[in-house]
Order: sequence, then structure tokens, then C-alpha cells
Amino acid sequence: MFGGLREKLQAARSRLGSSIQAVAAPPGAQGPEPSSPQPPLPAESPVTGEPGPDAKKPAGFVDKIKTFIIERELIVSEKDIDGALSDLEITLLECDVALPATDAIIGQVRKGLVGKHRKIGESVDSLVVNSLKTALAEVLGNGFDLTEYIRQHEKPVKILFTGVNGTGKTTTVAKIGYFLKNQGFSVVIGAGDTYRAGAIEQIGVHAERLGIKIIQHQEGADPSAVLFDTVQYASSHKIDVVLADTAGRFHNKANLMNQLEKIKRVMKPDLVVYVDEAVAGNDAVTRAFEFDKTVGADAVVLTKADMDSRGGAAISIAHTIGKPLMFLGVGQAYDDILPFEPAKVIDELLEGGI
Amino acid sequence: MDQRELMTLQQYLQEYGQQAEIFVQQLQLLENGRMEALAAIESLEDMLTAGEGTVLLQIGGGASVRARVEEPEKVLLAIGADVVVERSNKDAVEFLKERVMEMEASAKKVAETIDRLRGQMNEINKRIESGYQQAMASGEMQE
Repeated sequence: MFGGLREKLQAARSRLGSSIQAVAAPPGAQGPEPSSPQPPLPAESPVTGEPGPDAKKPAGFVDKIKTFIIERELIVSEKDIDGALSDLEITLLECDVALPATDAIIGQVRKGLVGKHRKIGESVDSLVVNSLKTALAEVLGNGFDLTEYIRQHEKPVKILFTGVNGTGKTTTVAKIGYFLKNQGFSVVIGAGDTYRAGAIEQIGVHAERLGIKIIQHQEGADPSAVLFDTVQYASSHKIDVVLADTAGRFHNKANLMNQLEKIKRVMKPDLVVYVDEAVAGNDAVTRAFEFDKTVGADAVVLTKADMDSRGGAAISIAHTIGKPLMFLGVGQAYDDILPFEPAKVIDELLEGGI
Repeated sequence: MDQRELMTLQQYLQEYGQQAEIFVQQLQLLENGRMEALAAIESLEDMLTAGEGTVLLQIGGGASVRARVEEPEKVLLAIGADVVVERSNKDAVEFLKERVMEMEASAKKVAETIDRLRGQMNEINKRIESGYQQAMASGEMQE
């Protein structure tokens, strides 16, 4: 997952590191590599204020002081890292990270590095990694802990799933049903996609396999009625969570959007979750933005993240639409769904394989 | 195997079929993207050698006009996230080649998924087949 982005971020990280390294060890400066500083000899310390034995050779002395300062702390100027930052910017854009998110990351990295005093013993790489981590954390937001949300809210918690056609909404509903069931919650699914041929059967098969109760009407029935019945069932049977599947729709199709409005009025969802595919990249971000503007969304699920090497949508969606990313779909099996944990993703992007 | 089990298997088969269809569409999109990128690479490389010559500029609907490229060395390239940047011809070709490689890797993954789905569909088909045979055999015995 996001292999391309990880590779490119590693390259950008080394480039930033070497730009700073170059400042730390300008040509002519002698002494050990700044990345592995060694404690200076007491005789070279300027703190003593006493001239050492080298005082007779001013040039050598100054050099030593210079080395000492470089070792002790390093101040990065904007000019030093401009080239590397512009590389990072292109890297992020190439990975389909939306422009506002890219700007935010670059701004944060710049803020984190420029004027930074490197402490003794701190390597240049850790300086770069830390500022990249802070920048990504800022853009990725806090994620959305669904189980915690359910625990803290009045039951049944009603979750409405929306999104465009063919992105894996129905499968996502089944996967989240499975996830919540494993977390100890009771779940009922409302087969609100009465529009697409075979959709009711599809969600029916999933529900049967997972042992989850499903409420369904006939094809072509009013989805609001199906979902109203589902909520009624959940209330009377003390079910914890209602997962409402709906038909795929585009934000610019007025009649389908009106239908969604009606569904919202009738079932009064606690959460509206927008589902799209990670592989759609920036298109997914644009669509999520439009959807949020038209019907509103509280959280986002991105499917097919296992096939997405660029990771642009996952990185930029929370920042661009201001709604958290809740889950990533990463495969065909029911347990192939990962709660989105920003810290984990950042660690894996910058340190290891996802 | 009873009738109900057979129906469930049929539903599974249908569902796997729908999933496979979505992945086939995705594969097609990747293939289209790959072909477009390869065509662009070829055009960019040829433009450098075309010199002052004219090229045919497709304007859609099968119509083309003769055009002269003023600066074949400079290319405006959509690098992602709806951002277009100016690159040298060589850099643009390199970028497109990388994209082709990326798309090939993704297509491989999608193709593997389709294969896996087809394998599962075959399995289900076999079970349905044997279910039918069992049902027919027991029907004959009852007669």
C-alpha cells in the first residue's frame, strides 16, 4: 500500500538531509561528520574564554571554533533547503497529493526546519524525519475512532453510507459490519440500495455470511422506507449500530441527491460516511469535497487502498474537506479493512513497509 | 445439497461476477492510461527529430489539423493532483516512462485479483454442477 509514495518520500527525505548536511559541513570546514558529532576537547571550548595553545595560529583556532559551533548546533536557513523543498513539493504532487495539502506539508516542513537549532548528538536525518512527521500529522488529522464514537453515543448509532457508483460501498458496509461485530457490537444492515439491480441480493449474501440481520424491501422500493424500518428494528431489538447502504450517486444528479436528503430526514443518521476509492486519487478528493458541500459528510472511507501506490487521496482528503478518514479498504476479505490511524501510517511511510 | 444451498451458491457466483467486472473495468482504464502515455512518449521523442516539419494535431471527433510545434523542447505536463508544470522534453519522457511502469505494476495487481476471483468462481461452479447432478440423481431414484 502506498509503495510509490513511501519510496519517493524516502528520496525526498535523503535530499533534505543532504542539503542540511551540506550546510553543516561547508567546504573547508574540518572536523568529523556533523551527523556523528563527537564531544569537543575541553581545550577547544570557547566557554573557558582562555586562549588555548593554538592561540598563536589564529586561522587554525577560528577553524576549530567553527567546527565546534557546527558540531554543537546548526541553524538551517530557508535558502539551504529551498531546492530540496521544491523537490518534495513536486514529489507530493506527483503522488496526487492535493495542492492545498501539499502546500500545508511544505509550509510545515519549512517551519520545522528553518531556524532550527540542531542539538548536540541529534542526527540530521532525525531532524528531517521529525519535521516530516509533524507536517504529515498536521495534514492527516486525528482519524476517526468509530468504536469509541459508538460507545459514547446513544444506541442505536445510525451510520449512513454514501458515495458514487462502483467504489465498493456495499462491500464496505459488510466489512464494517464484520469489524463492529468483532468489537462486540450488535449490528443491523439496511439494504437501502433499491436502485441497482442485484444490490439487495449482494448485501443479503454478505449479511448471511456474516450472521448479521438485514432489513430489505423489494427492488425499486423507497430507500427511506427501508432504512426507517431498519432503525425501528434496531430500536425495538436494542441493536447497537445501524449500517445503512444506499445507491451510488453523483453529486450533480438532482433527483438522486433529493432522495438522499429524504433518507437523511427520515432516518436521521448520526454519521454520514462518504465512500470512495483511493485509486481515484485527486478525483476522489474533489468528489468528496463536492459531496460534503451538497449533503454533508462526517467521515470518509477509502477503498482499494491496497492497489494505490501513490496514496494521494489518503494523505489529502482529511485536510482538503476537513473531515477525518475513518477506514481504509485493503483487499477482498471481510477483515481487509483497517481503521485509519495517522501515527501508524506516518511511521510506516517514513520508516518501514505498509 | 438442497435447493436453498444451490440458490446461495448462485448468489455467491453472481456477486463474484460483479466484483470481477469492476476489476476488469479498472484494468481497462489502466491499459488505456498506459497506451496514452506510450503514445505521448513516442510523439515527444518524434517531435524532437521532426525539426521544422508539421505535425497532425488531433482536435477530437476524428478531426486533425496541421500544426507546427514552436517549442518541442518544452512540455506542459500534468504531474498529478490537477497540477500542470513545464518540463523539458527529456524529463517529460522520463516522467511518462515512470508512470507507465507504475501503471503496469498496478495492472498486474488487478489482474491477479481477477484471477483469484475467477478461481473462486470456478470452485463455486463446480459445486453448483455437482449439486445439480446430485439433485438429478436423487430425482431419478425417486422415479
